[in-house]
This record gives sequence, C-alpha cells and structure tokens, in this order.
Amino acid sequence: MSAQKWRILITLVLVVVGLLAFWPTFKLWTMSDAEREKMNLEEPGEYLELQQKAIRLGLDLQGGIHVVLKVKTEELGQEATAGAVERAMQVIRTRIDGLGVAEPNVQKQGNDQIIIDLPGYTDADRAEELIGQMAVLEFKLLESHDNATLLLQKIDSVVHAYELAKAGITPTSDTAAAADTTKAEDVDVLAELMGKDTARDTSDFDFDEDLGVSEDLNPLSSRLDQWLSTSQTGTPWPGWSVNRRDRQKIEAWLALPEVQRLIPVDVQFAWSTRVEMRNQRDGWDLYLLKRKVQFVGKYLENISLRRGQMGGHEVDFRIASEGIGRFAQLTGANVNKPLAVVLDNAVESAPIINSKIRGNGTITMGGSATIEDAVNMKIVLEAGALPAPVEIIEKNVVGASLGADSIRKGFYSCLIGLLVVLVYIAVFYRISGIIADIGLLFNIFFLLAVMAGLGATLTMPGIAGIILTIGMSVDSNILIFERIREELRTGKTVRASIDAGYVRAFIAIFDSHVTTLITALALFFFGSGPIRGFAVTLFWGVSISLYTAYVITKVIFDVRKAYQKLSI
Amino acid sequence: MLKIVPDTNINFIGMRKYAYLLSGVMLVLGLIAFVMTAMGNANMGIDFTGGVMLKGHFQDPVEIDNLRAALTGAFSDAAVTELTDFSKPNAYIIKWKLEAEPGVKQESSAIKNLLAEKFPTNPFTVISEHTIGPAVGEDLRRDAIWAVLISVAGILGYIWVRFDFRFGVAATAATMHDVLGVLGICYLISTEFNLLYITALLTMAGYSLTDKVVVFDRIRENLQKYRSRSEFVHAVNRSINEVLSRTINTGMSVLIVLIILFNFGGEVLQGFSLAMILGILISTYGSIFVASPIMVEWEARRPSRFK
Repeated sequence: MSAQKWRILITLVLVVVGLLAFWPTFKLWTMSDAEREKMNLEEPGEYLELQQKAIRLGLDLQGGIHVVLKVKTEELGQEATAGAVERAMQVIRTRIDGLGVAEPNVQKQGNDQIIIDLPGYTDADRAEELIGQMAVLEFKLLESHDNATLLLQKIDSVVHAYELAKAGITPTSDTAAAADTTKAEDVDVLAELMGKDTARDTSDFDFDEDLGVSEDLNPLSSRLDQWLSTSQTGTPWPGWSVNRRDRQKIEAWLALPEVQRLIPVDVQFAWSTRVEMRNQRDGWDLYLLKRKVQFVGKYLENISLRRGQMGGHEVDFRIASEGIGRFAQLTGANVNKPLAVVLDNAVESAPIINSKIRGNGTITMGGSATIEDAVNMKIVLEAGALPAPVEIIEKNVVGASLGADSIRKGFYSCLIGLLVVLVYIAVFYRISGIIADIGLLFNIFFLLAVMAGLGATLTMPGIAGIILTIGMSVDSNILIFERIREELRTGKTVRASIDAGYVRAFIAIFDSHVTTLITALALFFFGSGPIRGFAVTLFWGVSISLYTAYVITKVIFDVRKAYQKLSI
Repeated sequence: MLKIVPDTNINFIGMRKYAYLLSGVMLVLGLIAFVMTAMGNANMGIDFTGGVMLKGHFQDPVEIDNLRAALTGAFSDAAVTELTDFSKPNAYIIKWKLEAEPGVKQESSAIKNLLAEKFPTNPFTVISEHTIGPAVGEDLRRDAIWAVLISVAGILGYIWVRFDFRFGVAATAATMHDVLGVLGICYLISTEFNLLYITALLTMAGYSLTDKVVVFDRIRENLQKYRSRSEFVHAVNRSINEVLSRTINTGMSVLIVLIILFNFGGEVLQGFSLAMILGILISTYGSIFVASPIMVEWEARRPSRFK
C-alpha cells in the first residue's frame, strides 16, 4: 500500500475510534432534562456509565462545590500521620455519600491535602455545612461559672483600654494603670476596676460620653446575655447569648494578643454551631469550655434520630464496648453539669448530664436545629471521627445559575468565534480554505474525543485552550497556503506547488507546535487549578493540530489527483 | 487569488529607529510593572493573596456606595465591583483580600452575615464564592513562578538547539520585550493579576515566540539565497514582507476569536482575552520591529554571515 493509502486508512480508523469515544458525550449532551431523569430512574446503571464516559464539565461550567481540606497532621505522631490522610478521605467519602451527589470526587493532593469536588450539587449551603463540620466530634466540660465571671472581668478591662486607645484617647493615669496591672495575673482585678470606676465618675466621664466611645466599662460582658438555665442544684453555667451583629466584634476582641494572654491555657471560648433562639431573640451562643477532651465521637455507634419530648431533635447513640467504662466514669462524675458536644470546635449543644450513662446516650440538639441539622449530625457521627482535625483552606462554590450562564456564554462565544474563523479562512483561501476548515473541524472533534476518552474535565480555561488550538491549527494551514502561493508564482505546476508548500512550511509549523507544547507541559506539571485544565486541552489540541492541519488536509488535497488549477 | 496584503516591499528595518523609541517606553513600563507585581503592589487577585471573592445579586437595586459603606469592620477594605455582563440585575462582586488584614480568619459567611444584617429587607443571593487561604495563595504563587521559569527555560533551550546562538538570543529577547509590553499595559489599566492572567501571559509568550520562529525561519532561508549579494538588511526586509500575509492572517484569525471571547465570553474570561489580545498585537509588532532589527544591529556590529 502506498503512503497515501496508509494515511487515509489511519485517518479512517482514528475517526471511528473518535466517534466511539465521543458518542456517549454526544448522547448525554443532546438529551433533555426530562429524558435524563427518565433514564436515571429506569436504567440507573447505564445512566451512570454514560455520565462516566461523557466529557465532564468543570465546576465553573455546571456549578458545584470545590473544597480543599488540609489535614492537620502536625498534631499527630509520625506513625499516625502516615495513614491519617487516607483514613480521613475514607471518612469524608462516607459522609459525602449521605449527600447523594451524583459524581463526588475525593482525592489526595500533596502530602496532607484533600480535594473534594461535588459537581452539579446545587444545595451549596448544606454540603458546605457538612464539610465544615468534618472534624473530630468531642465531648468537653464547661468551665465553672465563678472562674468564667472572673475571666470576663479581666477581659473587659483590657478591651476597654484597647477601645479607648483605638479611639485615640490617651487613657487617664487611672485607666492606664488598670490596663497595665491586669497584665499581672495576681492583681485583684475587681478592686482595680472599682478604683477606675470612681476615677471616671469624677473626672473624664463626660468627655467619653461626648465622643460616644467606650464609655461602656464592660464592653464584653455587657454584650453577653447569660441564658443557660441553672441546673437542679442551682449552679449556674457559663453559656451566653450574643447578638448576631456582635459576634464579629467579640471574635476580634478575643483574638487580641493581650486578651489571649489572659485566657488560661486549659480553657477556650467556643461558639455554637448555629444561631439559636434565646428569650425571643436569636443570637450566637458563646461558651467557655475546658480544653481537655473528655470523650471522642469514635466510640459512638447505632446512631438514630428521634423527635425529642420538648419538640426538638435528639440523636440517640450507643457506646461501643471499649468506650463504655470511660463514658460512665465521665458522666457519673459530672451529674448535673453540662457536657458540651463539640463539632469542629463549635458547640452543637451542651445538655446537662442527668445521670450516669452506661450503654446508651442521647444528644439533645440545639433549639434551632432543623431536621437537616439532625441528619447532618447523624451522618457525621456514623462516618466516625476523622483521624486528625481538618481545615478548609480553599473553597470554590459556583451556583448552578452562574454555571449555566457561563456554559452558555462560553459555548456560544466559542461557536461564533469558530464560525467567523471558518468563514475568514474560506474567504481568503477559497476551496483550499474549506479544506483547512475541514481539518480544523477534525481537530476539534478529535480533541473532544480524546478528552472524553481520558475522562478529562472541560473547564472555562479549557475552552480558552480550545480557542488557542483553533489559532494554532489555522496558523499551520495559513503557513502552508502562503508557501503554496509562492510556489505557484514561481511557475511550478499545481501538484508540485502543493507538495513543496507542505514540505517547506513544515519546519515552521513543527517549531511553533513544539514551543507551544513545551509551554503546555510546563503549565501542566507546575501549574495548579485552572492552569492545569488549560494545559491539558492545549497539549492535546496542539498535538492533534499537528496531525489534522498537516496530514489530514494533505490527504484531502491528494485524493483529488489531477489538478489543473488550484483554488487558493 | 484573494489577498489581504498585496505583495509588499516595505522597508521595515528602515523604520527601526522610531520603533526603538516605542519599545523603550514599553520596556521601561514593563520593568516597572514587573517589579511592582513581584513586590505585590499590583492589583493582586485573591489567587495569590488569599481571601474571599463573593459574587451575587440583590433582590432590589442597591447603590454601590451604600454597599461599600455597609462593609465595615474587617471588611472595610473589600473591593466592590458591579457585575454588568451577568444576566441578573443588581449583581456585584465583593473581593476581600487577606493581605489587607492579616490574621483575620477568612470567612465568606462573615461577609454574608454582614450583608444580611445591613440589608435585612433586600436579600443578597450568592451565585459564586471563592475562598482561598493565605498558605494556598502562597503555594499558587510559587507554582506559577516555577511554571513560568521552566516554560521559559524549555523554550529557550529548544530555540537554541533549532537555530543558532544569534537567532536564539534575538528571539528570546524579543519575546521578553513582548511579554513586558503586555505586563506594562495591563499594569497601567490595573488588570487583576490572577492565575488566568498568568496563563494568558504564558500563552501569549508561546504565540510571540512562534511568530518570531516563523520570521527567523524565513530569514535563515533567505540568507542562503542572498548570500552572494551580501545584503543582510535586504534579506531581512524581504523575509518580513514575504511572511507578512501569513502574519496578518494568523493574527487576525486569533484576534477575531479573542475579541468575541472578550465581548461575549463572560466576566471569567475577560481578563484572559484582554491580555491575549494585547499579546497578539504586541508580538506581531515585536516580530517585525524588535526581533528582526536585533539581528540587523548585531550583524552591523559583528558581521558573521558574509565575511
């Protein structure tokens, strides 16, 4: 067989393979929503297979959630670290299954990161909430009321001084002294405060009031509303309700280094997992917890949901045998005290322990908990505890409407651009231009087929890559045609001009393709995120372009054997 | 034969003195932009600083100034832009970079809560949100720098192998000139420096180099032909003129697509297409007025071809 016949044969084989690879994508993309739903109901297995074989659309094109988690392994020993990320992935997969996302993707990145993709998942808030809760479930005791009150007073005076300083008011000698002395741990804060109070009453009270700044001597505690009812024994516990709008401010205060120094190492402030309704108004709950972890969620099993007697939700659980002793001891020693259920350092609820718990227990959900909250809690508990705490370091949520909008825009702008280029080439190079157009269409078809075959994901930058591929492909044919024109001008026959044009343009085409391939490879191996999607399409597009723009167009020219004239 | 460019015989090399002026301005601007960007003084995107980008729309119209005023506390530095090409009205992008307030926990929900509080009767529907931690931003910045360096080194090496030393140096220098040109203009119009923008810069660098390779390829070929006449400048001029038709047709084809992308591709691809459009214009100019004159000047000072 001649070389030419081989080329035709290879091209035909590639077309068939390409059609096979592209067919699922074509089928899926041309189905209406109703048809998809019908197929999903009637033949779910085939539908899943179809989805897997079709070109996936990136989150930027169809909407969805992309989260990168960092597993904080530094707190673990070296041995525990090794499998921690894998186990965390396993737990996360199980939890995500509870969401019912069609094609969730959980993969490892680097040493300690996990990427979670939930494509097409529209209920972003719920998924995010669940992912956000992906931390260790812990049980912690609350700090005593007396210690908490004392700490609040110390913090109040420091915050007061800080607010004054921020407002540009030089603290009077009294307040400065108060602020200074509070740093020394052993000073009687209350007495200092009293002293400051009297000093202000006589001297600079009006001054402060005029400015409207921090005349409030107790900036923190005046924003806290104690709500946690006292237990049967009459002991109050430190649980406060905070007005929604105050949370940010209080967080900032608590984060101040001066304040951090005041907080003893064995206690921590923690917010509630959600806004709760207290005394007819809703706000965040703030707790002062003992840092020590009393019990962890991994010993809980047989989780079930129940409607509580008071109307709220309750989560029943059984303690695994290896944890029974520990839990019984914990609850037995702390009857009538609250036990905080802590998820990702946020307090889910702090029910009071009624009696020593041996085998079975109940978590009373917060008053504002909805059925979704309860289900999420159940999923989290069922999937077990993560081996190490995780932190969301990157999050990308694209609403379905924006996805639909960008896919429409990306698709149409691509289509319009392609059409204009096809026409442009056909106008300037006539029949030869149409041959180049055919090569270009082959290029795009093969590119889509390869992407489907590789299971690659098409993203917005990927679309940009396709557009550049179009440019490369067109450039190759323009180089060839300009050469052919030159050859024709020298008086060569049509046949000889075509052959010479192809041969002489090859070097420039090859060089330009190789340099672009180098760029694509560098982008792929060293880039990240959207850059990679772009690099993948660019790499394949350019590789294919070398074949379609150079070989396929030549085959078409060669098939038409006898040239008298060339339309170029 | 329909030709967009008639057979030309323009004395491009003769015009090089004017081009030096323009190129000099672009180079200075580009270098300033490069230094400023490296120091993080350009319009850095949250990709590289860490932060939050919220895109969403209000139910009822909101004055942009009111929206800016509503973002108080830690978020008072947030940038607010109106989103005009989105199909929904009253749409805004709120961008909050971490560099503005280091140490504050990045939380998109905090911004959302703030908005819900300030506009209680006018809900803000989030259509997309992007949160990047500062460590990730740093990783991305490092990755991007590596990608650029390795890509440049790879291309340089390739040109070195394919052409001789002079061609390699001239092509690389001219390509750098083009990239700096784009960087400079984008800095002036304050284009956001994000991952897509870096992608665009690298791609335009690839395109720019291709353009130079095509011209040099022809110069090398013509030098063989004109060897006897020992007319270097003539050979270079001839080469530029011969490939002019290709240069313009290719440039136009890519420009058409990019202009369509810029206008209709949506907000995501706008920065990308703008950088690419500038890149194609500047690299076409660079191939003709920078790369080729470098060869001519070099030959004039140290003749090697026609000894």
